[in-house]
Amino acid sequence: MEEQRYVVFLFPSVSYALKAEKILKVARIAHKLIPVPRHISSDCGVCVRITEDKQQDVERELLGKVEWDKVLLL
Amino acid sequence: MQVTIDARGLACPQPVIMAKKAIEENEQINVVVDNDMAVENIRRLAVKMACGFSVTEKEGGIREIALVRTGATSQTPIDSEAIAAEISCAVVAGKETGPLVVVLSDNHMGRGDDVLGDILIRGFVHTLLQLKPLPDTIICYNAGVKLAVKDSAVLDDLQQLAKDGVDILVCGTCVNYFEVGDQVAAGHISNMYDIAETMAGAGRLLRP
Repeated sequence: MEEQRYVVFLFPSVSYALKAEKILKVARIAHKLIPVPRHISSDCGVCVRITEDKQQDVERELLGKVEWDKVLLL
Repeated sequence: MQVTIDARGLACPQPVIMAKKAIEENEQINVVVDNDMAVENIRRLAVKMACGFSVTEKEGGIREIALVRTGATSQTPIDSEAIAAEISCAVVAGKETGPLVVVLSDNHMGRGDDVLGDILIRGFVHTLLQLKPLPDTIICYNAGVKLAVKDSAVLDDLQQLAKDGVDILVCGTCVNYFEVGDQVAAGHISNMYDIAETMAGAGRLLRP
């Protein structure tokens, strides 16, 4: 089985991540709120993880509603 | 004559003390041990006493160590204090200390703000997957059982943990109380006997 590839959306603060999560829930896009991986940042932060193929869908949903810092491949 | 010391099941520093005594009296000994700490301590003993050291892995985590005294050491007085200082009975994370048990007694982590507590517990359970070694058991009780039911945000993590061999106990009284008995989707329903016994037998108990 090929390993699932993920990307994470990083936000300026926890509240942005929460807002993004609410939007994705409504849009029914599978996602997971996870701690920001250690190799990306040592900050105690959370980010939204999605499968790589959903990146554009998520960007479309969030655009104009929540700003994000970066999207990184896990 | 070759002497074999059976130091299986003995707590540190017993194996290395037995090994030291035996190698002082014999040219060559075998020591059978069942943990890494004993191997490491005997390895250091061998260096101190200028002994030949080799270790053979046997089944079931058993290690057989061969110590052979070289000529020089028989004349060299053995500095027992220096050797004692080298013995380490430091806690090695894992088996020696008994099972690692994680207790999820709430579906929030910490007190103060439930929205934040929800984010934190989700991060915590997800991060458990990266612990090395993994917890042996996870116990969910009170509102913690809500983490193991259908539609829980950490259900996939708990299922993965179960798949990786972590035993997940879900309090039966609690799922009954919250009327989610038919929705438990990770781990297995358990009772207070198992929960109390598992907690009492834990080497370390982790409560987020």
